[in-house]
Amino acid sequence: MLAGLFPGLRRKKHPALLRNKELFENFNQGGLLSDYTFVVCDTELTGLNRRRDEIISIGAVRIVNLQIELSQSFHCYIKPRNIDPNAATFVHRITPEQLLHAPPVEEVLPAFLDFCGSGLLVGHFVAIDMYFLNKASRRVLGGMVSNPSIDTMRLAKGYKEAQCIDHFGGCDQSASYNLDLLSEEFNLPRFKPHDALEDALQTAYLFLFLVKKLKHGGISTLKELYLAGRIFSLMGRG
Amino acid sequence: MSAEQHLIAPEVVLDFLSAMMPFDELDEDTLHKVARHIRVDFFPKGTRLLTAGETELTHLFLIQQGGVKSFLTDDEGNVTLKDFRGEGAYIGALPIIRGTTANLDVETVEDTFCFLLPREVFLELIQEQPGFAQYYLKSFSEKIVNTAYTELRHHKMIRRGDEELYLFTIQVGDIIKQDLRKIASTATIQDAARAMAGYRIGSLFIHEEEDAENIIGIITDRDLRNKVVARGLDYKEPVSRIMTGLVAKILSQATCFDALLKMMSTGVHHLAIERKGRIIGVVTSHDIMLLQGTSPFSLFKEIGKQRRIQGLYPLSQKIPDIIRNLIKEGAKAGNIARMISLLNDQILERLLTLLEEELGPPPVDYCWLLLGSEGRREQTFKTDQDNAIIYADPPDAAREKIAAEYFSIFARKAIDHLVNCGYPLCPGEIMAVNPKWCQPVSVWKNYFASWIAAPEPEELLNATIFFDFRPGFGKVALADDLRDHLGALSARQEIYLLHLARECMAGRAPLSFFKNFIVAKNGEHRNKLDIKTQGLTPFVNFARVLALKYGIRETNTLSRLHVLSREGYLSEELWASAREAYEMQMQLRLIHQLSQIEEGVLPDNYIAPDQLSDLEKRMLKESFEVIERIQGVLKTIFPVG
Repeated sequence: MLAGLFPGLRRKKHPALLRNKELFENFNQGGLLSDYTFVVCDTELTGLNRRRDEIISIGAVRIVNLQIELSQSFHCYIKPRNIDPNAATFVHRITPEQLLHAPPVEEVLPAFLDFCGSGLLVGHFVAIDMYFLNKASRRVLGGMVSNPSIDTMRLAKGYKEAQCIDHFGGCDQSASYNLDLLSEEFNLPRFKPHDALEDALQTAYLFLFLVKKLKHGGISTLKELYLAGRIFSLMGRG
Repeated sequence: MSAEQHLIAPEVVLDFLSAMMPFDELDEDTLHKVARHIRVDFFPKGTRLLTAGETELTHLFLIQQGGVKSFLTDDEGNVTLKDFRGEGAYIGALPIIRGTTANLDVETVEDTFCFLLPREVFLELIQEQPGFAQYYLKSFSEKIVNTAYTELRHHKMIRRGDEELYLFTIQVGDIIKQDLRKIASTATIQDAARAMAGYRIGSLFIHEEEDAENIIGIITDRDLRNKVVARGLDYKEPVSRIMTGLVAKILSQATCFDALLKMMSTGVHHLAIERKGRIIGVVTSHDIMLLQGTSPFSLFKEIGKQRRIQGLYPLSQKIPDIIRNLIKEGAKAGNIARMISLLNDQILERLLTLLEEELGPPPVDYCWLLLGSEGRREQTFKTDQDNAIIYADPPDAAREKIAAEYFSIFARKAIDHLVNCGYPLCPGEIMAVNPKWCQPVSVWKNYFASWIAAPEPEELLNATIFFDFRPGFGKVALADDLRDHLGALSARQEIYLLHLARECMAGRAPLSFFKNFIVAKNGEHRNKLDIKTQGLTPFVNFARVLALKYGIRETNTLSRLHVLSREGYLSEELWASAREAYEMQMQLRLIHQLSQIEEGVLPDNYIAPDQLSDLEKRMLKESFEVIERIQGVLKTIFPVG
């Protein structure tokens, strides 16, 4: 527990983190998309303050062979360190009661890393999820998570921009990239926004849609997918 | 962390499955177990899912969202469209159950999300959940399983008699027709064939030479044909050379349905029935078919055998069941309509034959004419009677009086019987019982002459259903004579065709939108589309006016269009599009009416577009675009003004 309070004192890395690091030592980006495992995740936070806020639930589903495996899902609440007695103010659909009885992040994070295995993390605006995951991981496991991550929001941008350039040679910059609106726009099956797991599932549907649509357009390796997302996101900023 | 948390199937899958037949019958535990095995896949529009004869099914596809078409491609590359399936439908059940490769080509026509249920899990359900096997098998086979058992339970429809349940209650031991017939394995092929001929049976068991109780194989008619005659095998060879060594067995207390299941999953048509370790007989797929009695053909034969008119009443009530099965089996609407006509014609023929026997022979020749949709062979479920009688001109006034009296009684009785058979009266009284429509040839010829010459289009348009007449029973030559007369009149008088064509062009295709369709704005049918008036009628009118113009005697709309295309009046491409559009609309109407009948509502033609799947909406819209095209064709043939 001391190590948790004073991260600097922690020298030894947690075994789950070591396993995690080892899995990505010789990571190959050139493989076919269908050969990778993807772990589509969503986290819920107490807020967006990078210093003060923390993760209170993680939901994730696995994609193997570019198919969502419903037998393999992860869903867990996490007892926050600073639980607010007026926690009814949480924007989430989680009751303070649920959080009080939830395991602490020290227990959940290693289990989550094991669930991820050698999978690539996928999230909608994944940078936020990664920030808070890494923040927790540094504190309780002694280092950062090694899984590369893919952002469905960037992919969606890439896809939409490629589409409208094809058709009109120009691009609508005002479009929204919110998960709900994108799901509506692409006419994906919808889930009641319920919890982190259902959000992860919605994201997984979006990911599957984008990857297979891009695949039709000739993208078949991870590297190509990465480039599609990255290049287009740079363009989007300009 | 409890391990359980990893194993919760998302609610969406549970919701989906529990709303879907036959999964809705599973208990909660099983449903959860099944849901956990499911994977989700996405197939962009235009993805080939299955290729007939090639694809090995590793899982059952359940369409969560989107749509697919199934089709067959023959050696010359011709494609026959078989079916469209949308949300909530399944793909691949038959090949999985039979252990074969895909039986159809399947391709997505929309972006489609599917739940994939692994083959093994599906097969386990088939084995362990009786409702499952029933559900899938029922929807497969054309002839074998056409019981409506599952439907009956789900839709709480009143059952007509218990015969439909035979399959599920009768034990195979109870349907053994005769003693077990067998022959020693050393007997010659000819001996075996002679025994089969003598017993008039299609299969024969083979026992070990020394031990007559030990059945070691079976031969069937097919073996004699394929292994002996076709290959020129010597008849003196021992029968063991051509027998099938492993006899599939079934216990005598198993139900006929179990037997059917076993036949379908193993691909054999004969099962040896075993009781207390002994083979006591054989059950064939034919035996089971006979049990059902609701195949179109068996009904057809049963109608023909009736000796009393009252005996026809319950038989005609069976027609909707047959139609339902045909629909579920994916038959095309055009074929279904023809099947309905065949069965209705058979009822009519039997009814009028028996009525003639009752009233004595008619004083002069006559022909019972069928008009309107009956005349076009386009009925769906029970449609109103539209009929008439034409009889030969009597030689003098006295005999004219006798004829008029005879046919008046004849018509009244016939119409009453038809009502009892379930064919409602025509509200416009276009029936043989109306003296106006029970007339000799000369009067009929004058009717047509006056309609055609009518200066008022109104009168002509009210009479269009008469232009689709065909002989239903009696002296066909009388109807032919009238058709010739009509042809001759048309050739001289083209102006009436212009009226018909104008009428046809007046109705605009519904392409303005409420949820993409024009619908009634108010009243009982608010927000509904009248598929008959707005969809089907323009095709019917179009085909009629061109058939009259070019002297085509056919009355069926698709046949008329086909002949028009064959004779070069209609492009091949437009014929194909029109056929597809027309059949699609007929199909929608049939399915709509079927569900109304199952709900106990009188069938109508009003479809609620918001209840159609996206796929159906799109197809319907495309079919309306074809209407615009045929109207364009009419405009070039009959320039207005």
